[in-house]
Amino acid sequence: MSAPLDTEKLYAARLFAVRARPYLASALFALHVVESPEVPTMAVDRYWRCYVSPAFVARMPLADLAAVWVHEVSHLLRDHHGRGDRYVKAHELTGPGVRLRLNIAADCEINDDVYGDGLPCPAGAVHPADLRLPEAGLMEDYLPMFRLGPFTDGYAWLDCGSGADGGDRPWDRGPDGAHGLTEQERDAVRFRVAEAINGQPGRASRGWRRWAEEAFHPPQPWQELLGAAVRAATASAGAGDDYTYGRPARRAAALPRVVLPALRRNPPRVCVVIDTSGSVSDEELGMALLEVAAIGRAVGGSRELLGVVSCDAAAGVALPICRGEGIPLIGGGGTDLREGFASALRTRPDVIVVLTDGWTPWPGSPPPCRTVVGLFRRPTDEDHDHRVAVPPDWARVVRIG
Amino acid sequence: MTLDIAADLLGLLADTTTEPRPSTQLEALTLAVAADLPVLLWGDPGIGKTAALNQLADSLDLPLTTVIASVHEPTDFSGLPVLGADPAVQGVPMAPPDWAVRLAASGRGLLFLDELSTAPPAVQAALLRLVLERRVGALTLPPGVRIVAAANPRGSAANGWELSAPLANRFVHLQWTYDHEVVVRGLGGTWPRTTLPRLDPERLAASVAYARRAVCELLTARPKLVHQLPSSETKRGGAWPSPRTWDMAVRLIAFGTAAGTSREVLSMLVRGVVGDGPGLELLAGLDRLDLPDPEELLADPSAAVLPERGDLRQVVLEGVVEAVRRHADRDRWEAAWAILVRALADGAPDLLVVPAGNLAGLRRDDWPLPAGIERLAGAMNVARRAA
Repeated sequence: MSAPLDTEKLYAARLFAVRARPYLASALFALHVVESPEVPTMAVDRYWRCYVSPAFVARMPLADLAAVWVHEVSHLLRDHHGRGDRYVKAHELTGPGVRLRLNIAADCEINDDVYGDGLPCPAGAVHPADLRLPEAGLMEDYLPMFRLGPFTDGYAWLDCGSGADGGDRPWDRGPDGAHGLTEQERDAVRFRVAEAINGQPGRASRGWRRWAEEAFHPPQPWQELLGAAVRAATASAGAGDDYTYGRPARRAAALPRVVLPALRRNPPRVCVVIDTSGSVSDEELGMALLEVAAIGRAVGGSRELLGVVSCDAAAGVALPICRGEGIPLIGGGGTDLREGFASALRTRPDVIVVLTDGWTPWPGSPPPCRTVVGLFRRPTDEDHDHRVAVPPDWARVVRIG
Repeated sequence: MTLDIAADLLGLLADTTTEPRPSTQLEALTLAVAADLPVLLWGDPGIGKTAALNQLADSLDLPLTTVIASVHEPTDFSGLPVLGADPAVQGVPMAPPDWAVRLAASGRGLLFLDELSTAPPAVQAALLRLVLERRVGALTLPPGVRIVAAANPRGSAANGWELSAPLANRFVHLQWTYDHEVVVRGLGGTWPRTTLPRLDPERLAASVAYARRAVCELLTARPKLVHQLPSSETKRGGAWPSPRTWDMAVRLIAFGTAAGTSREVLSMLVRGVVGDGPGLELLAGLDRLDLPDPEELLADPSAAVLPERGDLRQVVLEGVVEAVRRHADRDRWEAAWAILVRALADGAPDLLVVPAGNLAGLRRDDWPLPAGIERLAGAMNVARRAA
């Protein structure tokens, strides 16, 4: 027979957690507590119920219990069960260890910055460093990086419930049980927490700020964004397939009294300017160049219509992309993209795509064609941040990597 | 083999049953179509957008006309200019295509514009007028015609054009996804059937008032939300807030309320017209509208019914304390304590700590401690232990 649940201590711990992390208040208060001796510690389900073991509450110090509250609510706010389900489906993972791995990866994502600043790190919490993993990753980053083995043996007891990894538990009350939150209610709570963080970003840790920014607009893969930007630029008036009254239509002969426009194919001329200064790696350039070449073909450009200029302090001549794919990217040292623009404009392009890390002077006035900038992300330490040269606002910027 | 036997086999394959199963996206689609707003379904090719449209047309008893936008020319939507004997006298009429004439003649129908995002820009421009003004050349489609369009997301479109911001602003954007279970059961022979929302004639006037109040309260407090052109690369071609889409939101909330639909459906619709951020703010506003009014609670604390959810309950209790702060007198102050004591009886004590502290701070020297306050001691214990 287990001891009764010390609700007073449990709620005192929640209050402690709210005081330490005021921006999580709505989420913490939205959790519905269910007493459950079957649960090893504390666990959440996807409907925002929190299952609590009385024995666990009795043995944890109050401050540690508060940290566990924050930990559990983080699983829900970060949608670990949904993300875990999607990951499992996308990679067709099966087997008994999968959910434990998901749980460990999710815990790693949370634990590297949720504690401290008033909340102690509870004993036994798994930290990325324990598994020899880098910090500040997401669950999806960690998952392929470790297997269950000697490093993870110590965490086999770990169980944050179906809210953390998406696997059903015997104690779960399921979607129809009382006090569950519907999807819309869960979104509303997450939205309020994100608003609270964005309202006073100074109070939240970096991990939470990143979460709040991305909670409702998850970042898209850069390939897609770069593709969309290039497509949109090439699809503007004057390029691509579109209808024009400037020419008779093929149907016109069959419809003598009707004036029809004709589909006119005017494939866009794209010029890629590549920053080959020392600060951009070959691998990055290769990826980006392949991407642009693929997009160029997709929008109907033939090889002659795609040019490449490699550019450091001086710019080379524009070469057609068929030779550009094997182009020796000579360079190193500083960059002056103004040279690259000048060189690209000599080919009279419809669109200029610039691949650069942004550490360069930009032309003072917009070029006479659309510009898409693929900006390589640099690991910026905070004091450097304000000195990064920003691309001018006449260019559409896509961050790469 | 003869075609007769093949027909028998085809007949067996077509012999499927249905089972009732709620579908949020189909309900949202139905409601938007009922509200006479053009809907745009976003979904990968082959996931059953057309099947859903067939089901919708069946259940609404509307004939379905499908037009693949990407294979038509702009003149098929803006009308074909036909030269008469004397253009200077008669002008040049813009002749509508046959499907539009048939649709107009029948007076009612569901017009499905498929593959909108792969239509060239000139076709999209011609579609603006069709979607907004329901005009095809010289012909105006009758009010019984409803418009639904479908588009492939940018990632999966073979050679997709981006939807222009003005065209995007005219649609209710619904993300169309498939449910793994539904597909597997359907291929096994059992497809889902949804009960469609019905409007309650008694609730029409109240629904309109509710919808207007919700939107106006939000926009009064947040003027910035009225008009925000999409700026980032991720949001282009999607829903964004403008006076036109807010007007659509009013209409959708009124329809949703009159039909008694769930918040899930309403959330999908509202976020589909004004975008995620403003949509969620509007829904948060609706949640607040549904919470009990502090003044009513203070007028009769013994009948107070507080929301079950902790976070909402805290919002109500803080609202009560705020109301007392605005007009403080002894009766109201004591009523607020009574409400806190009630909240303790059926909920978590840690929620009460902040409102109780604030309420205690409002006490005037000549007010005695209210009856029943000793029952809050438990909550104060919680606060002491957490300190």
